[in-house]
Amino acid sequence: MKHAVVLGLLLALAATAAAGSVLPYAHRTEVLPNGLTCILVKLDNPDLVAYITIVRTGSRDEVEPGHTGFAHFFEHMMFRGTPTCSAEEYNRIHTEMGADDNAFTGEDLTCYHLIFSKLYLEQVVATEADRFMHLAYAEPAFQKEALAVLGEYNKDCVSPWFQMEEKFLATAFQAHTYRHTVMGFLKDVEDMPNQYAYSRQFFDRFYRPNNCVVLVVGDIDYDATLALLRKYYADWQPGTYKPTYPAEPPQTAERTCHVDYAGASLPMLWIGYQAPAFDPANKDFAALTLLARLAFGETSSIYRELVLERRTVESIEGNLESHRDPHLFTISGRVKRAEDLPAVQARIEQAIAEAVAQPVDPERLAAMKSNLKYDFLMRLDSTGGTAFRLIRIIQLTGGVEALDTWYATLDGVTAADIQDVARKYLVRERRTVGTLTSAGVEP
Amino acid sequence: MTRILAPSRFAALAALCVLAVTGVAHGAPAEDAPQFVLMPNPESPFVTFRIWIRAGSANDPAGQEGLAQLTGSLIGRGGTRALAYEAILQRLFPMAAGYSVSVDREMTVLEGTVHRDYRDAFYALIRDALTAPAFDPGDFERLRTDQANYLENNLRYSDDEELGKAVLHWAAFQGTSYAHPEAGLVRSVKALTLDDVKAFHATWYRRGNIVVGLAGAFGDDLVERLKADLAALPAGAAPAFTPPAPTKKTRGLRVFIVEKETRATAISFGHPIAVTRADDDFYRLMIPNSWLGEHRTSSSHLYQVMREARGMNYGDYSYIEWFAGSQWNEIPPQNHARHRQMFEVWIRPVMNANRHFALRQAMRELTMLVDNGMMPETLELTRNFLLNFSHHYATTESARLGYAIDDRFYGLPESHLARIQERVKAATLEEVNAALRRDIDPANMDIVFVTNDAAGLKAALVGDAPSPIHYDAPTPESILAEDRIIQAYSLKIAPDAIRVIPVAEVFER
Repeated sequence: MKHAVVLGLLLALAATAAAGSVLPYAHRTEVLPNGLTCILVKLDNPDLVAYITIVRTGSRDEVEPGHTGFAHFFEHMMFRGTPTCSAEEYNRIHTEMGADDNAFTGEDLTCYHLIFSKLYLEQVVATEADRFMHLAYAEPAFQKEALAVLGEYNKDCVSPWFQMEEKFLATAFQAHTYRHTVMGFLKDVEDMPNQYAYSRQFFDRFYRPNNCVVLVVGDIDYDATLALLRKYYADWQPGTYKPTYPAEPPQTAERTCHVDYAGASLPMLWIGYQAPAFDPANKDFAALTLLARLAFGETSSIYRELVLERRTVESIEGNLESHRDPHLFTISGRVKRAEDLPAVQARIEQAIAEAVAQPVDPERLAAMKSNLKYDFLMRLDSTGGTAFRLIRIIQLTGGVEALDTWYATLDGVTAADIQDVARKYLVRERRTVGTLTSAGVEP
Repeated sequence: MTRILAPSRFAALAALCVLAVTGVAHGAPAEDAPQFVLMPNPESPFVTFRIWIRAGSANDPAGQEGLAQLTGSLIGRGGTRALAYEAILQRLFPMAAGYSVSVDREMTVLEGTVHRDYRDAFYALIRDALTAPAFDPGDFERLRTDQANYLENNLRYSDDEELGKAVLHWAAFQGTSYAHPEAGLVRSVKALTLDDVKAFHATWYRRGNIVVGLAGAFGDDLVERLKADLAALPAGAAPAFTPPAPTKKTRGLRVFIVEKETRATAISFGHPIAVTRADDDFYRLMIPNSWLGEHRTSSSHLYQVMREARGMNYGDYSYIEWFAGSQWNEIPPQNHARHRQMFEVWIRPVMNANRHFALRQAMRELTMLVDNGMMPETLELTRNFLLNFSHHYATTESARLGYAIDDRFYGLPESHLARIQERVKAATLEEVNAALRRDIDPANMDIVFVTNDAAGLKAALVGDAPSPIHYDAPTPESILAEDRIIQAYSLKIAPDAIRVIPVAEVFER
């Protein structure tokens, strides 16, 4: 019954969109002759436009030794100017227009975003196209920016979560570049000031139209906006570089790691199982997505028992990481006393055994699917919110069309499918177990 | 590049918003009646609640620091007399909605947004959270432990910048109700009882002490139901509360060194200011503050001279009012309004070897700004930035409702967002520079370092000898020449003005 309510709601929200589309707004996609994908979403919200450039390159592409963290570092360099628009001028233009602008880097993308009044649209298209095509910076500026990146590492590295992630990934992955964090290994971050020549090569390889998507969301006119994109990006030449990603071999035995945290922290327990890459049509991926929340989310029996009733655990959650290459199904928690770590791990194993043995209640499954769809819709609350909601599907698939495939796949998952993936993926030999305790406290 | 002049359409939109808020706001202040701030939008897919209780951590009784926060947590993350917390989570789950309570020095806000189709089911949950909390002993133990763990572990060890800012506010407001963080003090939190929570709730969660904000497709019938349902709360107004008196700025430079093992040093400094959104000077100060250190914006001056020119750290910012969650929010969040504010500068972690230099540079830049004032051309550029950028502050219904409630807190006759458009636009160079001299005093600052080798830092500060910056990369001569001035910039810090605090003692009692 609950599921039917959701479908009715979706149809109501989708009034302005193509029939059956999950995204409740009309949109248009055009691929320019040079391979640049342009996705336009028109909203009724007045005045504001979100302009987002997604480079489908992230820490995953750092396949060469000594260059971990470079995609993130390069994100910083993109604000350092061109022959016709210095860094100072670029800053001044954005200051004048009061743009809300920034950038971020992940495993599979580097993303540059601006939100501004539509009156500035042509100026933004012009300056963004200019820096993506003609970025130029001298070695001293490059070296100063490398120090700012080290400063970013220094501010983050005191966190126990950061230290845990760094060690856990390096243990769970032996070959694939997902074994380092987006920030990169410290020794590589410290060596960045010496990598000026490599940085030019990096730009030449990855900042190419056929590796990028421009997403424009907000108060726009389709034809006029497309005309601007065609005009300013026409001369951008496509590239040919394709990294060879080292395949992560199937794991055959359990791995473990431990962090002795120098400060005080509640003990942490992370368990990661080798899982498939994101594929909107892959039922296994959809079933694992549901399983993570059903078995380890706030409405799970383990959450009720450990967090709310026995109160031995501060927090616990399950998550299937969505990436272009196979990543991890993770269960992570903060435990109140180190001596409880083995019992908490045993309870997690019991929850997995239950997921294999018992089909999930149909009403819970329907509530879960409702949750995922409403979660998507609830964040479409503003121009920026809508644009940011689309970034992940674009990063993973290169477009927004896969949204409909993905939600159809989720809808098709049955209780038996969830039992199947629990049995297939959540097995001891595919897992890595990580713990963190304050230094001197035995795990 | 062609330059396009700033649009005027924004101003019209802002004015429209203001009319929507004030045109339908219900109720005059009355001893026994909740007030309403209503922003109806029948076309909206959402219904947003922001229910403001006029109480916060500044109302914690002495020895019970953390009580307002724990009370709020029990409402936001605890059961009701109708449903255990676990059952509430189950009900919220298909809606993909939730509610939460944020507690600041003077405000507690119960906030949640739901799709309009779930309005009634969600309303029943949020109503019971406010009017019929269970105050279950199990919930109490869980949330009190979480709060103590936050202080003992997270705040002290996992983020040196947040720690530095919390210690700065403690230093600047020592001896007042504003000194301790919302989470309280470790010993006090561990001693709190369920009866303390019930007493706090009975004192402050009263009909006459509540402002109900609603936005979106809530419907008039919901307002009527709320009026009836809030009768379940105790009648009457809450006790009068007086914010701390504005601090006299006559104490020189005081230094607080939180000592712990660090790879880098976090620095914050500032002083209380007697200026809020209710004052003309606030809008005058917005302009030089934005020029000096607009939050997370690369064009501001400190960012340019410390990060961009010298690669010293990840960023450097300044503030004239509290910016909650500054680590992760790029746009200021709402409902953290305070009657006493601080001017503060946030220097993100610098290499330990450069900590003295970094303080000297930031203090020198601030002093030059106050002494020399802004230049006409930078004032115009910054003014245009603020007039446009402030339109990003409230792009959702929830944010607009949050601003309307904050306007009520400050007693503003029109909205803060409209005041920015009017007053930032109207401010003259003379007014701005006079406000800087009147309100910001670089000679009277509290300075917090989170760093290692406190003895070494103390000796360096007292000795006041040159502290050259350490570079790992070639640097232009123009920068090096200025560095020679900065490294000798005298701060004249007296030995007895420096206090070292081991990190394990911070916020202990």
